[in-house]
Amino acid sequence: MNHAFYLWMSYGATALAVLAEIVALRARRARALRLIEEERDLEAQD
Amino acid sequence: MSGLVRTADGRLSEVAQGSFGGGFAWAFSRDFKLAWRHPGETMLVIAFFALVASLFPLGVGAEPQLLVRIGPGVIWVCALLAAFLSLPGMFASDYADGSLEQMVLSPHPMAGWTLGKIAAHWTASGLPLTALSPLLALQYGLETDTLAVLAAALALGTPILSLLGAACTALALGARGGGMLLALLALPLFVPVLIFGAGAAEAQASGLSPSPHLSLLGAGLIVAAIALPPAVCAAIRIALD
Amino acid sequence: MNWFYFASPPTFYRLAGWLAPWFFVVAAVLGAAGVYIGLVEAPTDAQQGEVYRVIFIHVPAAWMSMFLYFVMACYGGVSLTFNTRLAAMMARAIAPTGAMFTFVALWTGSFWGRPTWGTYWVWDARLTSELVLLFLYFGFMALASAFEDPRRGDRASALLALIGLVNLPIIYFSVLWWNTLHQGSSVSFKGTSMHVAMLTGMLLMAFSFWMYSIGTALVRVRAVILERERRSHWVRALAART
Repeated sequence: MNHAFYLWMSYGATALAVLAEIVALRARRARALRLIEEERDLEAQD
Repeated sequence: MSGLVRTADGRLSEVAQGSFGGGFAWAFSRDFKLAWRHPGETMLVIAFFALVASLFPLGVGAEPQLLVRIGPGVIWVCALLAAFLSLPGMFASDYADGSLEQMVLSPHPMAGWTLGKIAAHWTASGLPLTALSPLLALQYGLETDTLAVLAAALALGTPILSLLGAACTALALGARGGGMLLALLALPLFVPVLIFGAGAAEAQASGLSPSPHLSLLGAGLIVAAIALPPAVCAAIRIALD
Repeated sequence: MNWFYFASPPTFYRLAGWLAPWFFVVAAVLGAAGVYIGLVEAPTDAQQGEVYRVIFIHVPAAWMSMFLYFVMACYGGVSLTFNTRLAAMMARAIAPTGAMFTFVALWTGSFWGRPTWGTYWVWDARLTSELVLLFLYFGFMALASAFEDPRRGDRASALLALIGLVNLPIIYFSVLWWNTLHQGSSVSFKGTSMHVAMLTGMLLMAFSFWMYSIGTALVRVRAVILERERRSHWVRALAART
């Protein structure tokens, strides 16, 4: 039984999930800031 | 119904008073009559149930032993899906034409008439499903005793589905995402009912006693009937704000 | 003390921003220690060999999946009781991390089950109820975002989270109530039958995940606050400075 495969798939998937979450968090914050800027620009045009 | 109430300046005045039973009876008879006059939806529920239950033998092959084995579970899943599809109708028309708001403003306690609505909905969906299930059970070649337990399990389980479904439907009133959202909310909550309901019939079929499963379903029904109407009321209030 | 001081979004935004990095640092340190113990220090298992080391991720992730749902439901309850915006935003902030840990628990459990039970999946009580938990998280997130009015989404999802709480005892006690393939619990408040190094590794990872979850929740709630309060003066000023 090649246990290394199962251990890698487990620990690796967890590391990927954590990484993906952190990337998504940064993207969400960036999107929120961009949204604020867009709305401010839209209102400045009025 | 009306009663006497002492107002702030000391006078007695007559005020409309509702009651739990009055609200229940009012809502139940109203929705029951509506469903009776427009049997289309109930017909659809029954037709869907029978149709989907027929798909399985066509899909997996009509070998009698296989059908007997999968019968209880398949019939339960079909009943569950049919009950699920009937859920939007519980509040949709009343929400759309404003009657729901009027009902909230009525003097009857909200839990009473919501329970009445849910009960009426069950008579138009869960009850016909339970009544039709023996026929489908025969189509799957189930034994008489298994058939009886299956019907009993559905009789106990479909009201729980109506109660759970009512909470989810009320939560999702007017939401984007429609039926898919409702499925995502309701089906996970339906899972325990399915497990015990199908489990009861399968236990009987294997020669074991179905009473633990049926007892749990019965207990679940009592808990659901007590705990869920307030949740449904809260969800309706949230929807109407 | 004014308990509602930190219930104001701008105040909490600043506090969360100050606190979050510390939680991540602690999580990283504990996680490194836990992984080291899990992969290096802890002895080889007599029956399962090396593959049992998945336990150092699987069990803490499963604990977090249930714990985070509970916390999320509590915030939902608070938001409904006190009608506060921030509690609802915290519930929204916790949900994705909870879903992530539920997925990790299911995934690692799968890859642990294959070599030990011979199958990636079995429809027993614990696995099924954990899968249902994942769907409950998805339902929560979907319902919260399904309305034009975010406050309606807050309230509806909070109520949904409370209704779904019934699933937690089912998961927790499922190994007790049903004849299941999944192992019963070896860790309780009274004690454990596990080897000390294994227990230490598991607890370290559990705390690491916990600190990480608090960190991500704080960071995410800051983004949620920015989105929800974007028309307010203080957010505009903040964005202009950034």
